[in-house]
Amino acid sequence: MNQKIFWRLSGPGALFLVIFLLVPLITILVFSFWRTESYTMIADWNLDNYIRLLTDKTYLTFLMRSLVMATVVSLVSLVFSWPIAFFIARYGGKYKIILLLLTSAPFLTGEVLRVTALQQILGPLGLINMTLNNFGIEPIEALMYSNTSSAIGLTYLWVPFMVLAIYLSLLNFDFDLLEVAKVNGAKSWSAFWEITWPLNKIGTAIGVVLVFVPTLASSITSKFLGGPNGALYGNILTNQFGSTGTWALGSAMGVVLFFVSILVLLVVWRLVGDLRRSGISIKGGARL
Amino acid sequence: MGIVLELKNVSKNYGKVIAADNINIEVDQTEFFSLLGPSGSGKTTMLRIIAGLEEPNEGSQVIINGKDVTHAPPYQRGIGMVFQDFLLFPHKTVAENILFPLKMQGASQKEKDENLKWITHLTQLEGLENRYPYQLSGGQKQRVALARGLVSKPSLLLLDEPLANLDLELRKKMEIEIRRFQIELGIPFIYVTHNQQEALTMSDSIAIMNYGKMEQVGEKFSLYHDPDSQFVASFLGSADSIEAEVASVQDGIATMTFHGKTIQARAHNGLKAGDQAICYIKSERIRMEVEENPDAPCGVVLDKIFKGQYIDYILDIEEGNEIIASSGTLSQIKAKDRISISWDPQVADAFPLPPKDPS
Amino acid sequence: MKSTLGKRLQLGTLILLYIFLYAPIVYIVYVSFQTNGVWPFPPDFTLEHYASLWHDEIYREGLKNSLIIGIGTAALASLLATMATIAILKYHVKGRMIMTGLFLSPLFIAHVIIGISSLMFNKNVLGLSGNIGSTILANATYATAFAFLVVLAQLARYDWRLDDAAMVFGATPKVVFKEITFPLIWSAIFGAFVVSFLLAFNNLEISFYNLGATPTLPTLAWGSLRHGVSQELYALAALINLVVFVFFGVLYAMLKSGLLKLDYKEA
Repeated sequence: MNQKIFWRLSGPGALFLVIFLLVPLITILVFSFWRTESYTMIADWNLDNYIRLLTDKTYLTFLMRSLVMATVVSLVSLVFSWPIAFFIARYGGKYKIILLLLTSAPFLTGEVLRVTALQQILGPLGLINMTLNNFGIEPIEALMYSNTSSAIGLTYLWVPFMVLAIYLSLLNFDFDLLEVAKVNGAKSWSAFWEITWPLNKIGTAIGVVLVFVPTLASSITSKFLGGPNGALYGNILTNQFGSTGTWALGSAMGVVLFFVSILVLLVVWRLVGDLRRSGISIKGGARL
Repeated sequence: MGIVLELKNVSKNYGKVIAADNINIEVDQTEFFSLLGPSGSGKTTMLRIIAGLEEPNEGSQVIINGKDVTHAPPYQRGIGMVFQDFLLFPHKTVAENILFPLKMQGASQKEKDENLKWITHLTQLEGLENRYPYQLSGGQKQRVALARGLVSKPSLLLLDEPLANLDLELRKKMEIEIRRFQIELGIPFIYVTHNQQEALTMSDSIAIMNYGKMEQVGEKFSLYHDPDSQFVASFLGSADSIEAEVASVQDGIATMTFHGKTIQARAHNGLKAGDQAICYIKSERIRMEVEENPDAPCGVVLDKIFKGQYIDYILDIEEGNEIIASSGTLSQIKAKDRISISWDPQVADAFPLPPKDPS
Repeated sequence: MKSTLGKRLQLGTLILLYIFLYAPIVYIVYVSFQTNGVWPFPPDFTLEHYASLWHDEIYREGLKNSLIIGIGTAALASLLATMATIAILKYHVKGRMIMTGLFLSPLFIAHVIIGISSLMFNKNVLGLSGNIGSTILANATYATAFAFLVVLAQLARYDWRLDDAAMVFGATPKVVFKEITFPLIWSAIFGAFVVSFLLAFNNLEISFYNLGATPTLPTLAWGSLRHGVSQELYALAALINLVVFVFFGVLYAMLKSGLLKLDYKEA
């Protein structure tokens, strides 16, 4: 009986994801073994795309740069998100929802607009450097068309995801446990490391992945903020579907990106460790 | 005086775990019936089966007022229920909570007003109608939960450990009130608890459950004084146990040797001469005498604990058998006194001791 | 006291984040009133961008399409996610782990992959060119995952025995949902709706690969880049932010007055 209701409720969504996510993913997997000729796909099974990706240094360089970028952006976001999410969840009271939505509302202004606005604030002709110039101070090189400014832009774009994930995890955290820890002699910091952190590791891991994956695939930000050595994997990936029209190679790049994301997910999962001690528990003792 | 609830051969298992094993119960129109057992004994499962929240195994039958409702959903059974942790609807006021069952029946406004007035008066909730559950004390929440269970004048009220979250003083008060409601309304209450004091205070009849099995059902007095299973003898009251060897069984009374002394108790479960027996005696049934009687078990008073209405003596009998004897507050026996103990064979119960594991 | 120091540091980080997040938006609002968009100093205020925004059909079209995509995606995603969450949390049956994994999996797939794969699938397998419908469906994949995460986290604390109680008192499953479950979980569903709307309203990658010439706000912004972002788009963004902050104001007033309650455990 319950099993039937379970399928009736979760079935539609599951079916939807299989049809509109899984099947298209399989499509690009198949196409990645084909080749493109004058903007059409030709079912000529081969490994050329992958061989090219693995042997041509350019692609590997871009991929490595994206991986480093995603790692840095994730870590910076992590450090910033924790105190913010903690403050909102613990002290937000009935205004929690507003404090949280305030971190997400900038999304309504769109990625392109916000990145170009950032460009006009950070760039060589931007607000910061022009102001410095007015006072006769040397402009800050790091802010102008560099990987640093890309990292700032990417953190800017995705940090709300991390705040959201950690906040959602903290919603189910019993803050009274911290009082218990303090009564037992733990200082604020050790209470955090002993209690809060381990019980919210899964939520944090989800947050890290939510920032890591879009950063790894990003193209727009680096285009505007990155400068000559700033192109990322996402830039050449989108090129295959734009000007060059080499869809098969692009598909292979998408497949590689997908598997790198999964690899990162597994690494994060390993770092989180024992699932049963990580705080995902449901009222009434049931566990996922 | 008809039978309101009948359970016939009710069983339930979750995979390999047996939560109810062939349970048969009949509950009368005016009966306060308790299901008593330790946690995990299957008593809450029984209640959920009666309510229709769990479906029992094939072959089970649940009959309410002569109607077989085994496969009827909960909302067609017309029963009231008071839940553990109250389970008041947090977004509804006291009045909305109480009137929920009537709203579901599509009762008229007039009917709702009248019933609300009646039940808030009965449960002393007047003036709290517009509060929300989070604005209530534990005792008030308890009353709202009771009022919600009773407002539609159901044919049967189920109560699932309703007093578990209240402090002792409030619990004592509510025990008496709940019993009063039951008498006033003249409907059977089925009360699940692990607290035997509660069960003994309120009930007419008690069913004792253990590991999904019904150990014994009956009127509470006879259950307390005439247990017929080892579990019931050990579980009810404060029971001391003594292991002894059976010398003879005659007219239902077993005579046993305990460290060379002779003791007696009613024999159960085919106890026979030569068996190892375990013998249960309620603490308040043990008599102590200060002079040492060479024929009776002897020992020393380890501690004397004043409990208010009585005194518990912790005794070490025949070196190594710790038992508790309760006595009136006027007892002059002190700690370190040497004493001998005795009891009436008709109030002690001996059962065969299951053979020990070779390990 | 140490705890207040910690609290002050947290609050400080929060305010810093708000400044960081809203600085570009303040800049956008400022530029939307300036004649010169490239170096708008010293200020030279004008309303001409708002006027031309009003007269240009394409922006209205883009806004309309973005709204359709946002609302369509959010409705679909929050419906599917809520149903799945209830299934997983309420019914302790086999398959819950796998379902949870399936519903979270789109979170770990980059949007650009979803965009190109749905483009390739539509074009090369089905032989269809993308349209608003296929854009909504593609957006709804990852939006369902976000909605699921939001609803799951908030419903983890929901006491499903309340539903049992209502049932015993005579409520059929439908009535239970209407009277008990929905009034208690609507804010979680609303949260899921808002998050999936935010994501889909502004998604560039998926719309870009699915829609071609049909304008949405992000594709218009992308398209106008060749000549520098048109200031009409800045004006439009300013107006959208105005609506958002009016919404926040109303929400704040409702929460403050107690007209709206999101958590019944707090007095």
